[in-house]
Amino acid sequence: MARFHPLTVQQVRKTIRDAVEVTFAQPDGSDFQFIQGQYLTFRRDFDGVELRRSYSICSAADGGPLQVGIKRVEGGAFSTWANDNLEPGMVLEAMPPMGSFHTPLDPAAARNYLGFAGGSGITPVLSIIRTVLAGEPKSQFTLVYANRGVNTIMFREELEDLKNTYMGRFSVIHVLEQDAQEIDLFQGRVDAEKCAALFEHWVDIASVDTAFICGPEPMMLTIAEALRANGLTNTQIKFELFASSQPGRLKQKANAKGDAAVGAQVTQATVTMDGTARSFEMGKDISILDAALQNALDAPFACKAGVCSTCKCKVLEGEVEMLANHALEDYEVAQGYVLSCQSYPVTDTVVVDYDQ
Amino acid sequence: MADEMNITDYLAKGGRLTNPANVPPRYRAELMKIMATFVDSELAGAAGFADVINAGPGIKERIAAARIVLEKTDNADRVLRLMGEFGANTDRYANHHPWADRLPRDTAPGSHRSTHDMRLSVMNYPLEGWADAVVMNFCMGLGVCVQLREMTKVSYQPLSEAIREILPTEQRHAELAEEGLERLLAQGNGPAITAALTYWHPRVAAIFGDVGADRMAQLQGWGLRDLTGPELRALWQDQLGHGLARLGLTFQAA
Ligand SMILES: Cc1cc2nc3c(=O)[nH]c(=O)nc-3n(C[C@H](O)[C@H](O)[C@H](O)COP(=O)(O)OP(=O)(O)OC[C@H]3O[C@@H](n4cnc5c(N)ncnc54)[C@H](O)[C@@H]3O)c2cc1C
Repeated sequence: MARFHPLTVQQVRKTIRDAVEVTFAQPDGSDFQFIQGQYLTFRRDFDGVELRRSYSICSAADGGPLQVGIKRVEGGAFSTWANDNLEPGMVLEAMPPMGSFHTPLDPAAARNYLGFAGGSGITPVLSIIRTVLAGEPKSQFTLVYANRGVNTIMFREELEDLKNTYMGRFSVIHVLEQDAQEIDLFQGRVDAEKCAALFEHWVDIASVDTAFICGPEPMMLTIAEALRANGLTNTQIKFELFASSQPGRLKQKANAKGDAAVGAQVTQATVTMDGTARSFEMGKDISILDAALQNALDAPFACKAGVCSTCKCKVLEGEVEMLANHALEDYEVAQGYVLSCQSYPVTDTVVVDYDQ
Repeated sequence: MADEMNITDYLAKGGRLTNPANVPPRYRAELMKIMATFVDSELAGAAGFADVINAGPGIKERIAAARIVLEKTDNADRVLRLMGEFGANTDRYANHHPWADRLPRDTAPGSHRSTHDMRLSVMNYPLEGWADAVVMNFCMGLGVCVQLREMTKVSYQPLSEAIREILPTEQRHAELAEEGLERLLAQGNGPAITAALTYWHPRVAAIFGDVGADRMAQLQGWGLRDLTGPELRALWQDQLGHGLARLGLTFQAA
């Protein structure tokens, strides 16, 4: 289960108007040892609602400082707070690094890497570039980096410095939507046409060992397709997706506790799954999961022992009693999530949702 | 081309998810079921095979059986760790269930022992001695490889990568079983092998179940399935046919 550890902010630096690079003081112990391309997950309480957000480490995995880059998302809770309020000395809670957006290093190898980043998607790719160039002295890295305009390029100077430090082994191709560049190729979005042009003139695609892609979904799809069309296999293409299925600033759930009736032996249950709601009557001595299964709903489960969390659903109305919970965390329970295999109705009506 | 894209559309176009934060609730549930099926089958398989180690007729056979037990447990651990990233309690999971339990030997093929674990139904039948265990491992080893090859395509990148690393060890287990069968045949155990094939063939065939067309379409849309149960079963039958031919065995499925 997730364990959080404190991380002390050492430095906060604006990289562009809407993004900060956050450096943490060297933590004690080995909890925060990381592999290039991994991310940290932070938690913070926003008006009584805990939010968890992941941010990729952008520093090299060779003993240097632990750093992340956080771009402000319009209307976004955590990223806005981080951009406006983080200061040296503040303590954040974070889970140990996770993620598999990397390939093993081999100091003797002479590999050819290709990276694609869109906007803040540069962060894990930067960590990989820094680590690979230092750790594999014979390898090469080409980065294609897409941004709106010159003033939204996170880590532009750092990339220039890397070019100078690793002369001839590292090249960057900036693709900008707005600011016209001397060469047409570099303007616009990274679409199929642009990929074709890149592979024809700038990138020797046949020699590429591994490609790393991190950016918005449509860009990832387009690039992966172009890479496959040029002979790369799925094993050679590594994705990192930033999309979050967790809702942002959560609406406080309507609290039905207290008012709801609890007298009857049976409960009127409504279960939503795959967008359809089904209502049925169930006994209070049977679990929500079993009742759903008995009513021909293909509700998810695996262990039926409160251990695996496959059967997780959200209580929207009414109250249930969860007999055992070895999987959900307090903040999830606070948001109304329950393990349906362990949950028995208390109130005379209960509404649950497997889609949230 | 907009920056925003619905995750369902993204998946339908072949996109991949890379961490638990990306994963929508219903996708999460189906993914957890797939992972639990693998973990439970490996744990149940290893637990069942552990009892057979001492039945191995020689030291080589016992080493092979012990290795299979070790590696299947290790493979379960790899995928269980991914489940842990979604909140599963990994310590409890390994112990919450009696993985070595089996049904009576004469139970009909395709039977599920309980609804408390997700092991493939074939893992519910007891092994009866060494030759029986080797035949089961041969038939099922090939079946596992067919299923794992399918799983290397899943849209959850950490799982597809874990399975790619697991596949060679499972392939090796099927090879060890084939080597074991060669030795048994050389020792004149043909009739016992035929009897065991008759017993295990329908039970392995039953693991390639068919799901309803709607559900299959949804799973395919999410990139969690590609081939249907009958298609996978046909692949397995093909592999098994080749394996039996290599051993000089003929076997007519009932
Ligand atoms: C593995 C991983 C690594 C990542 N690495 C990085 C990184 O290195 N750098 C980086 O900048 N980001 C990274 N991200 C993205 C990051 O985790 C956050 O998703 C991002 O910062 C937005 O979070 P937020 O809390 O600021 O926004 P949220 O509050 O989640 O809001 C996101 C958007 O949804 C809207 N919204 C909020 N609440 C609602 C609502 N109730 N209804 C409708 N719309 C709503 C907001 O207006 C906003 O546009 C990563 C994500 C993952 C999964």
